[in-house]
Amino acid sequence: MGTEVEYTPFELMAVAGARELKNGEIVAVGLGLPVVATFLAKRTHAPDITIMFELGVIDPEPIHTGVGLADPRVWYRSKVLSTFVDMLGGVLHGGRVDVGFLGGLETDAYGNLNTTLLGDPKGKFRHFVGSGGANDIASSSKRTIIIIRHEERKLKEAVSFITSPGYIRGGQERAQAGLPGGPSRVITDKAIFGFDPESKRMTLLSIHPGCTLEDVLGTMGFKPIVPEHVPFTEPPTAEQVRIIREEIDPEGIYSG
Amino acid sequence: MDKVVTLSEAVASIPSGSHVALSGFAITRATMAFAAEVLRQGIRNLTVSQCVGAMDADLLVGGGAVSRILYGGGSLDRFGRLACVNRAIEEGSIVAEEYSSLSMVFRYVAGALGLPFITIRSLRGSDVLKHLEEKAPSAVAYVDDPFTGEKWLALRPLNPDVAVVQVQVADPEGNAWIYGPRWDNEEQVKASKRTIVITEQLVPTEVIRRDPERTVIHGFRVSHVVHLPFSAHPTAVYRVYDYDADHIRLYAEAAKTPEGMRAYLDKYVYGVKDHWEYLELLGGVRHLTKLAADPILGY
Repeated sequence: MGTEVEYTPFELMAVAGARELKNGEIVAVGLGLPVVATFLAKRTHAPDITIMFELGVIDPEPIHTGVGLADPRVWYRSKVLSTFVDMLGGVLHGGRVDVGFLGGLETDAYGNLNTTLLGDPKGKFRHFVGSGGANDIASSSKRTIIIIRHEERKLKEAVSFITSPGYIRGGQERAQAGLPGGPSRVITDKAIFGFDPESKRMTLLSIHPGCTLEDVLGTMGFKPIVPEHVPFTEPPTAEQVRIIREEIDPEGIYSG
Repeated sequence: MDKVVTLSEAVASIPSGSHVALSGFAITRATMAFAAEVLRQGIRNLTVSQCVGAMDADLLVGGGAVSRILYGGGSLDRFGRLACVNRAIEEGSIVAEEYSSLSMVFRYVAGALGLPFITIRSLRGSDVLKHLEEKAPSAVAYVDDPFTGEKWLALRPLNPDVAVVQVQVADPEGNAWIYGPRWDNEEQVKASKRTIVITEQLVPTEVIRRDPERTVIHGFRVSHVVHLPFSAHPTAVYRVYDYDADHIRLYAEAAKTPEGMRAYLDKYVYGVKDHWEYLELLGGVRHLTKLAADPILGY
């Protein structure tokens, strides 16, 4: 055994996200952890990744952390500054985006995402950010990766509002809606999930070091498919942690 | 043709009940001075549209000028929610047609190109579509692809009465340059019956003629040009000034309650005669100079 590397749950999630990305892929990202994961992949095993932000930004190299996509800090040293039609239209709807990285208020057993409202859509509810480009990214990316905190209220059997479709109610429902792709991974701070090829139900793939199966299942609002043998998630390397802390998020804004 | 007018004159050209497309995106290039003047002139019953909701729409909704919003969702980024828009949706006091960013821009594209409809892959299988089918049944429908027979979702074109766009540079005819990403602004302009350009810098047409590749708003589409510095404050204008984080925080806090919003409006909108008084209230040149963009960073 080598020296134990110390890391936070956020850093483990970012590293797990980065591992999902292959060199040369086009990645549509929102802010926060997906940005850290994508920059990490770009600085390690996948230097030729293309990063796309929906509002018209490609491959920025920010040196200050922004408050959101609309913050010019996030556009610094971009290769392209253009439009929604160019990015969400010509790149995403045109079928060129390999991976969409999405988060949300809640997701469910079939990887549907809600960013619109909590409560009863027909009665009393609290309204939030809505779709932005999330529905578009969930609909047209070749695959999507969902990053979400591991809490019972965030991992539900069925979300209260499908803002961005996963496999809808499972089986062939997504394909029948005319949608390609679908969620490939759900990364939480306790585990990584995939989806069963037939039923499309969320399936436990690995448990983060330090967590137990009981802990993972006891803090979810539904029961995922659990295979007989579930490995531990590979922990971050010292170099990956160093890059996140020193190069990508030195101010600790994303991870703080 | 010289179309330069005061903000007050440009706003007076908009009748109550108009559909206005706004250029803001969260906390950047939002039509803040415009929105404040709309409230001061008492214009009401507006339909407001933009791909991603911004602070301009929130101020207009907070001031009671909006009866209907078409947008793809939105926020003040990490400063908070669009509290006034969200509260109005929760209370049912405005009609909200919610889209995704791309489905909104596709409606502008269809309007801009004069198409009868435009097909899209987005929205299918989602509750966003279910809500639109209930709230805006005339905006969405299914069509068969005449070549393959495949079923597609179709969106109706959108043609706002007027687009109001914050830009960095314009000439007196309204030919305009936008620095930085332009999100839906070009399509908003092309889809709208006319455009009001609000510019940080007014330049002679000769300057435009030297770099015409930069022109993203065609002068002939523009009815009024307003030359007004810091007219997007407290939101950012790339390469001109940064967002005013303290003021956005102050707004976000105030907007959390109707009483707080009322007090904000009384002080910063109704408590001043015009945009110039607003800038003085903020602290004038001494304050605004702090927001000036670094020429390399652009913020």
